[in-house]
Amino acid sequence: MSEMLNVKDLITVGIFAVILIVLIFAFGMLGYIPILMLALPILAALICGIPYMLFLTRVSKFGMVTLLGLILGIVMFLSGHTWVPILVFTLFAFIADCILKMGNYSSIKNSIISHGVFIMGIMGNMLPFFILRDYFMEAMRVSMGNDYVNVIAPFLNNGVLIILFILTFIAGVASAYLGKIVLKKHFEKAGIA
Amino acid sequence: MEDVSFRYENNGNAQNLTDIKLNVKKGEVILLCGESGCGKTTITRFLNGLIPNFFDGKRQGDVYLGDDLISEMPIYEISKHIGSVFQNPKTQFFNVDTTSELVFGCENLSMSVDEIKKRLDCVVNDFKIANLVDKNIFKLSGGEKQKIACASVSAVGPDILVLDEPSSNLDSKSSWDFEHIIKKWKEQGKTVIIAEHKLFFLSDVVDSIIFVKDGKIAEKWSIDEFRNINHRDFGLRQLNLDNLELKRKEYYSNNQEFLELKNFKFNYGKNQVLDIDDVKIPKNEIIAIIGKNGAGKSTFANCLCGLKKSCKGELIFDGKALKRKDRLKKSYMVMQDVNHQLFTESVLDEVLLSMDEEDVELSEDILRNLNLIHLKDAHPMALSGGEKQRVAIASAIASKKEILIFDEPTSGLDLKNMMKVSENLRYLQSLGITSFIMTHDFELICETCSHILHFDDGKIIDNYKIDENKLKDFFLR
Amino acid sequence: MGLELNFNLDPRTKIIILVILSFMVFNDMSLYVSGILVLIPFICLLFSNHKKSALMYIVVYVLAKYIQIYILPTATGLEAIILITFSYTTSRMLPILMMGYYTITTTKVSEFISSMERSNIPRDIIIPVSVVFRYIPSVYEEIKSITDAMRMRGFGMNIKSLKNPLKVIEFYMIPILISAVKTADELSAASLTRGLSNPEPRTHLLEVKLTKVDYSLLAITFIGFGIYAYNFLRGVLIA
Repeated sequence: MSEMLNVKDLITVGIFAVILIVLIFAFGMLGYIPILMLALPILAALICGIPYMLFLTRVSKFGMVTLLGLILGIVMFLSGHTWVPILVFTLFAFIADCILKMGNYSSIKNSIISHGVFIMGIMGNMLPFFILRDYFMEAMRVSMGNDYVNVIAPFLNNGVLIILFILTFIAGVASAYLGKIVLKKHFEKAGIA
Repeated sequence: MEDVSFRYENNGNAQNLTDIKLNVKKGEVILLCGESGCGKTTITRFLNGLIPNFFDGKRQGDVYLGDDLISEMPIYEISKHIGSVFQNPKTQFFNVDTTSELVFGCENLSMSVDEIKKRLDCVVNDFKIANLVDKNIFKLSGGEKQKIACASVSAVGPDILVLDEPSSNLDSKSSWDFEHIIKKWKEQGKTVIIAEHKLFFLSDVVDSIIFVKDGKIAEKWSIDEFRNINHRDFGLRQLNLDNLELKRKEYYSNNQEFLELKNFKFNYGKNQVLDIDDVKIPKNEIIAIIGKNGAGKSTFANCLCGLKKSCKGELIFDGKALKRKDRLKKSYMVMQDVNHQLFTESVLDEVLLSMDEEDVELSEDILRNLNLIHLKDAHPMALSGGEKQRVAIASAIASKKEILIFDEPTSGLDLKNMMKVSENLRYLQSLGITSFIMTHDFELICETCSHILHFDDGKIIDNYKIDENKLKDFFLR
Repeated sequence: MGLELNFNLDPRTKIIILVILSFMVFNDMSLYVSGILVLIPFICLLFSNHKKSALMYIVVYVLAKYIQIYILPTATGLEAIILITFSYTTSRMLPILMMGYYTITTTKVSEFISSMERSNIPRDIIIPVSVVFRYIPSVYEEIKSITDAMRMRGFGMNIKSLKNPLKVIEFYMIPILISAVKTADELSAASLTRGLSNPEPRTHLLEVKLTKVDYSLLAITFIGFGIYAYNFLRGVLIA
């Protein structure tokens, strides 16, 4: 992809990566409220649609979206979210890029779906929590008793993980749709989209 | 010898440049001037290769550098010969620290490490910026940033320098510093092409002046001819500030009332950056806040607006002592970057947002008075800089603010737009609003202001009714 | 000031340490096993200009461990949920987060680029990553100035904004995005005129070299990791 992306594309990717990071981290603060922690990817998905759709107006070739995912993963890694996000983010971004390519980078439907896929990459930040689930449960069992754990356990199993993925996808699609509206409402009128 | 001549470019719908023929000799310093949007910037883009390498458009004619066609050179090749400094210091840096920025160009051109070191030492000496080395660029003042930009371009050692409104964010002292930089380049035999509105600091270095109008070269002057024309006739700023006269020598309102500031203090860590015990300022006047960069002007403005929580000062206004939160309700700042304070999707909404109860008729009245009514459905971000500023003013009027503070309202504006700002300020005065204007623009002060607050080192060192001699002491060398 | 004691690591070292510390998340080990790894961010922070953070870090970490070991077994109800979440997230995530904090605050963009290029990472990754570092402070400044602008119009920490949270988000988003697009254009233009698109490899004024300190810290990290991995594998085998 080296030949295809020019300096401007690369800088655009960097700038939009910052916007997404700032949003994700700003809403990540909400994650300190324990119940909301699980909903974090959904919240992030709801908000990132607007910048993502604006970003797509600057994208017309393969690689930029994949690169955006990779960069987000790297920043997550550097800020101490382990290297899992690098893999997960890049993977989903790559799929999103493929979806865009199928729509020739102009189909609105594909753009919206691609955001749904792209933003699932955020689950990479959550995966470590699911991996350490067993230990968490064990600690709970000691202090809260079996009954409580049996109530809460279903919320932390793989089924929930899948549901989270699905919800994130739906939130992502919804927010991309919203993004499209905001794009019309603001950016097209302001003459920058 | 360079031989630059080009014809025209068609960018979207309107013709931006038509039949421009220009020959620049080596070692000349050329000034491009003209109203905003006349095509100055487009010309500079041709010269530094951003057209056609970065901006698309229909192009005719060619630009030559010596015998080479600029449009056929790759842009990194051009950067060896032509250096560019842009208007906005915020967006022309690629690095976070100054040293990396200074050598960035050299590194890109794959120079050897020894060579880079030599050049770094050289520009640090030439530009006297030893105190700026290895600093965080984000902590520098506008003037310092622009110096770094010039030095880092200079480090690559280009023969030609293209400057696009480099001084619009600079105070008068930094502007004079800029004159030194250009002189330095001139001594080194470099060619300098500068597009600029502010002219006063250029009168001793420029060789010839090109006046651009509607994408055409309308006039060419030598510097001597240029000194003798009436700049106002061409919509240009004053070349010699000494020629300016005060428009208004008295206060606007007759029955003098005062605002009183008490105990305005503010610290950054251990540094006290603002220290005002007790100051009386006439109410319902247009007050200029002058002083060097870093003298505490913007801290003062933020405290006055009630934006700084730790500033415990009080403002006595109409006999009432206003605490921070009350001031936040009474006052409004028009920021230098107006983009940050316009939020909605239309000009009318912007005004309505400021009202406690939405009143469309009143809003339309306000817009009419500010000459914005024809734009009421437009998106604020799609407007020109001057129009955006008027929208911000409109929203302040709508929220019944009584104190308005302007942060550099005329930076980068041509004469016509500066006059409009001045008109708006006088209109605000007629509404009974007290305006504070932080500015480096002597011409604006002469047109508009009636009272001066002079800041230095966090203190108000002078507080006087407008006075030509005192002002000239400050603004002229 | 003790400046002569301060050291700065090669960015590559920082990254390797980050990678290794990341493994800690997957597994909770007792303090004597993970101890060395826990101490590494502390050492790094202590010997740079972040002494305060270093102390805060170690205090919070010890507190979390203390809660985990002594308070949790007796805690009940809602209190327990909060304590569990706090102590477990802290004891696993905090070392990595602090290492990340250290990496980001002590690495110059130029150092980072330079060491990445030495490791032959393609420019397609290096340029965006450098832009990220460069643009974060700008966004921070912008957010501050937008917040000020909103406060002057009566949006702040008050009822008016709580009533319209979506409006507040929109108000932040629009100016930031518009300036993002502008910055992307202007920064690209400026970088192009400075020769960034030159296909030849760049040179670097800044020499990054692995020093003794780098090697020693890497060695310590690997020893710590060895102990950790050994215990982990043994745990798995026994299970």
